[in-house]
Amino acid sequence: VSSMVEADQRRVASGSEAYWRCVDYLVDEAAALDENRLDDWLAMLHPEIDYRVPIRITRERTAGAGFSAEGNHLFENHESLSLRIERFATEYAWSEDPPSRTRRFVTNFRVFELPGGDLRVRHNLLVYRERMAERGSQLLSAQREDDLREHDGALRLVRRTVLLDHAVLATPNLGIFL
Amino acid sequence: VTDIAAFLDDFDASLKRGAVPLTTFNDPEIHSLELDRIFTRAWVFVGHESEIPAHGDYVQRPIGRDPFVLVRGEDGVIRVLFDACRHRGAMVCRAERGNAALFRCPYHGWTYKNTGELAGVPFMRKAYGAQLDKSELGLLAAPHVESLHGLVFASLDPDAPPLGEYLGEMKWYLDMIWGQCPQGWEVVGDPQRYRLDADWKTAAENFAGDDYHTFYLHRSTIETGIMGGVQYGDISENLEGFHVRGGNGHNLIRFTMPTDVPGPHFFGFPPELFDGGALGPELFEAAKGTAGFVSTVFPNFSFLAFPFHHVRSAGPVATLVLHLWQPAAAGEMVVWTWAMCPKGATDEFRRESYRTTMGTFSGGGTFEADDTDPWMAIARSAGATYARKAALKADVRMGMGGAGVSKRAYDYPDPGIAYFNVLEEGAARGFHRRWLQFMRAEHYPPPMTAEEQDADTGGPSANGHG
Repeated sequence: VSSMVEADQRRVASGSEAYWRCVDYLVDEAAALDENRLDDWLAMLHPEIDYRVPIRITRERTAGAGFSAEGNHLFENHESLSLRIERFATEYAWSEDPPSRTRRFVTNFRVFELPGGDLRVRHNLLVYRERMAERGSQLLSAQREDDLREHDGALRLVRRTVLLDHAVLATPNLGIFL
Repeated sequence: VTDIAAFLDDFDASLKRGAVPLTTFNDPEIHSLELDRIFTRAWVFVGHESEIPAHGDYVQRPIGRDPFVLVRGEDGVIRVLFDACRHRGAMVCRAERGNAALFRCPYHGWTYKNTGELAGVPFMRKAYGAQLDKSELGLLAAPHVESLHGLVFASLDPDAPPLGEYLGEMKWYLDMIWGQCPQGWEVVGDPQRYRLDADWKTAAENFAGDDYHTFYLHRSTIETGIMGGVQYGDISENLEGFHVRGGNGHNLIRFTMPTDVPGPHFFGFPPELFDGGALGPELFEAAKGTAGFVSTVFPNFSFLAFPFHHVRSAGPVATLVLHLWQPAAAGEMVVWTWAMCPKGATDEFRRESYRTTMGTFSGGGTFEADDTDPWMAIARSAGATYARKAALKADVRMGMGGAGVSKRAYDYPDPGIAYFNVLEEGAARGFHRRWLQFMRAEHYPPPMTAEEQDADTGGPSANGHG
């Protein structure tokens, strides 16, 4: 996992059409998740999506950011994400019924064009999560490294790496998508 | 709780009737006493040798709430060092994982070798003359550290018995699980941690023997086919497993599988990774004849192996997860999760097994996410003033007095006291009985007798009464 900007990535100017397409996609995606329209969300994903949330630990400054080389909280593809959404639709997915109230704040967009034509968007994510009032609320903070690809006339998320700022997850489960 | 002795007396009397005072799952006084009487005595899991393969490798690990460092010293010896400088007590290990020849205290610069020995004190002669003996000022170390198949346990009590004695009959099952692959097992990636407003005992007793919840709480995984990993019969409807009391409060749920049917055998892992091996044919055949298991080694180390579907288009994939239920506060824990894989597995199997493990039994898992809901709710109820005043009890009577279909399996061929089938709560009663023994004892408690392990069953007992 690297959040460094590689030399072959060309920065796409803020305010350009490509930039706004990316921002629109990510804002629409956040709305779909916040509004619990999970089938709509699934339809926004590229069929070959690689979705990961690496585990992070505290390392010394010289050892880097502390993302686990092999460890992931979530390590999903289109079919497994689809199965998770299907599970939520049963009457027995207790941890998200009642569902969490979530609000995703997406900011600090930087868009890059990759050699193959995909658009890479590095941006910040803050998720507010609250469910049963007596358990309080949680904030999850991360940088997302997303690759968007043209597919059937629209941008689709084909790769997402959620770089959490948490070593110990400050939420009882990852029953929500980041 | 203001009078702990009276609470524990009531706990004893309640347990004999198949009940557990709910307050035990969220009370500050009980939490404090647990740290003192259980977590500074019992053998606690601290990690796996594969996490620290090289000399100088270390990881930070808790025992109870206390900060320790699991480190392989320059001499190759694995130690569990207390992370507190002998000068003023500041932390000397400043990262959660790494490799270090020396641990340096940032406060005044006292420096320790990775064996714990004090190596350097700034201005030592000028500051102390001859009054400071470095050989007496090494980092405190757990008095007992032992490994079994790479699983490292530590006890802080000099009077604790050796690990093998502590594990009792459960050792045979650890041999069965982790002693059959010639290259051994390793953990994949770094452990996941999440903070949960639930008591460590709730999770520990769940893994000790709560099959009852599977068919309701986890029904979403049955309906969507995630659970359908066992093709000989359907494990989602299959109660045909054993509850094994493994000694000293340890318990194992074991689903067996005849070795002459297609399987899964070896807990669903690729059979070619297993060979008859060093520990003999009996254990090998037992591993082959085991489709899956769930277990808690007292107090807070649990593990589980089953084949599950991460996606439906591919077959079920074997998983093996380790959990440490770290007490963090009254009614609050940090859940630690490691995924394991046999060494020598293909890269593809390792990846698919890992994602299936994390996709089911982790904080991001389709099973465990649902477990967190009632576990938190239990802590919420247990912390209620009214629950204490009304003396509300958790009901763990299932199987007592021989009621129900689960019976003592006298013909069970392997170690431990076995019940068939899994529809009973004696495992939870045995876990809480051992908890009570530790909580009441002024010194390290004597081993649990077979009678005590099964004493709260009320039915046909281990010693043949009834």
